[in-house]
Amino acid sequence: MSRRGWFRWGTALVVLGIAGAWAQARIAGLSIETQASNPLVRWEWLFLREETPAELWQATAQHLRLTFGAVAAGTLISVVLSTIAVRLRWTFAPITVATGFLYTIPSVALFGLLRTRYSSIVAAEVALTSYTLLILVRNMVAGIDGVPGAVTDAADGLGLSRRRRLLTVELPLALPVIVAGLRIATVTTVGLVGITAIIQLGGLGQLIFDGFGTQYYTKIVVGSVLSVSLAVLLDLGFYRLEVLLTPWARRRGTP
Amino acid sequence: MIAWAAIAARGGDTDAPSNVIEWFTDLENRTNSGAIPSQAWLTIWHSALALAIVAVLALPLAVMLAHHRKAELAASWVINIGRAVPTITIVGVLVIVSLRNGFGLEPWPIVIALVLLGLPPAFTNAYAGVRGADPSAVDAAKAMGFTHAQVMRRVELPLAVPLIMAGVRTAAVQIVATEPLAAFFGGEGLGAYLRAGLADRVNGGVQVQAGALLVAGLAILAELSLLILSRIVVPRGVQVGSRSTRHRRTRSAPAPATI
Repeated sequence: MSRRGWFRWGTALVVLGIAGAWAQARIAGLSIETQASNPLVRWEWLFLREETPAELWQATAQHLRLTFGAVAAGTLISVVLSTIAVRLRWTFAPITVATGFLYTIPSVALFGLLRTRYSSIVAAEVALTSYTLLILVRNMVAGIDGVPGAVTDAADGLGLSRRRRLLTVELPLALPVIVAGLRIATVTTVGLVGITAIIQLGGLGQLIFDGFGTQYYTKIVVGSVLSVSLAVLLDLGFYRLEVLLTPWARRRGTP
Repeated sequence: MIAWAAIAARGGDTDAPSNVIEWFTDLENRTNSGAIPSQAWLTIWHSALALAIVAVLALPLAVMLAHHRKAELAASWVINIGRAVPTITIVGVLVIVSLRNGFGLEPWPIVIALVLLGLPPAFTNAYAGVRGADPSAVDAAKAMGFTHAQVMRRVELPLAVPLIMAGVRTAAVQIVATEPLAAFFGGEGLGAYLRAGLADRVNGGVQVQAGALLVAGLAILAELSLLILSRIVVPRGVQVGSRSTRHRRTRSAPAPATI
């Protein structure tokens, strides 16, 4: 390990140790009795209340379910749409305009509107899916378009059929851009899922909402911290995937 | 909270409007959630204030930093953090911070949340626009003896205007689309109709539909008016399809999403 690596891990260990000792001292001094004041964070709610871990896990799990459901459905639809757009060039503009229009509809309005007809979960998933389409389709088409003309010419020269050229030449080369699209769509969706709290879903957003309704600030703080960490973790995960998929492009400035 | 309870209590109202058109013409039923002009005005005022602050903060900074090629990494961080922090989190946290410190609800918590929401797209687009200005044009300007300020103002800025306006438009639409969330955190605005309608399980549906139409209409209006504005402010020479750019754009390749 390099000197810099040792330094980094050492610092991390020291920071973790101090934080752990501090938390240990705080937890040891806690009692389950409610305090008269309303502090920003009630540590006893977080650490001593028996139901808290299960509740937090449920909220996080619902958040993840809603996110991945929407991204998966969005990916399926986008694959179909971008295949059409790549094959028939003239359809690209109308597809972009249509998905762009969907993207413009305010999420609060769309969730509410769909909720008047369908159940909460259907309303949430339909709305969330529709927001992923613009990003996914744009990046899929841009990825395929970005394949150098010389490469496709070479594939044609080798006598590949159109389908083989797409699957074995264009798709692997377009993969980084497609994964970048998935990354943006996922992180955006994590943020939007919180807003489904207005139709009684929302995962961690519901926690924030409850906390506001009952003036229980701890829930707001915990819900915020968890949802931000979820987004950051997913972002980092997809970033690693991007790096893995593009061993030829060592990282440059912009992500 | 009181308004909320009052709305929930009149759930069994029988002479509630049965469709959106009736709702729009029926003025009495809106006594609980305010008149449309005043709520719309509140939403527009919050959004316009937030957008103005975003423009003042983000655009000069982005243009300067991009001109000096500073903060490449910071620019990418701004996008990532901006994308990762959920809006509901910002609004929730800012509202409690503001209430606990005695600043009240109107208008700062929601405006600051909207500013934070609008900064990343405005900043990154402006940055990318100036960064992507044709280097040969910049070099030519330098060779002619332009100062830094002149290069910025007379070469890079005009070339970047299309992207800058795209960023401002994205920010504006996101800001207008998110403002209704304030109504769910004790504020007012067009979101009040959605809040009231969603709280009324029996016949709130119509109000939700009407509120959604109003909010969506405002977002589309913001998008359209900024499109028209960008038509006006984009210099002739850099407009898509103008004589000087036509020969270069033989095939309009779509740009991958970065915001």
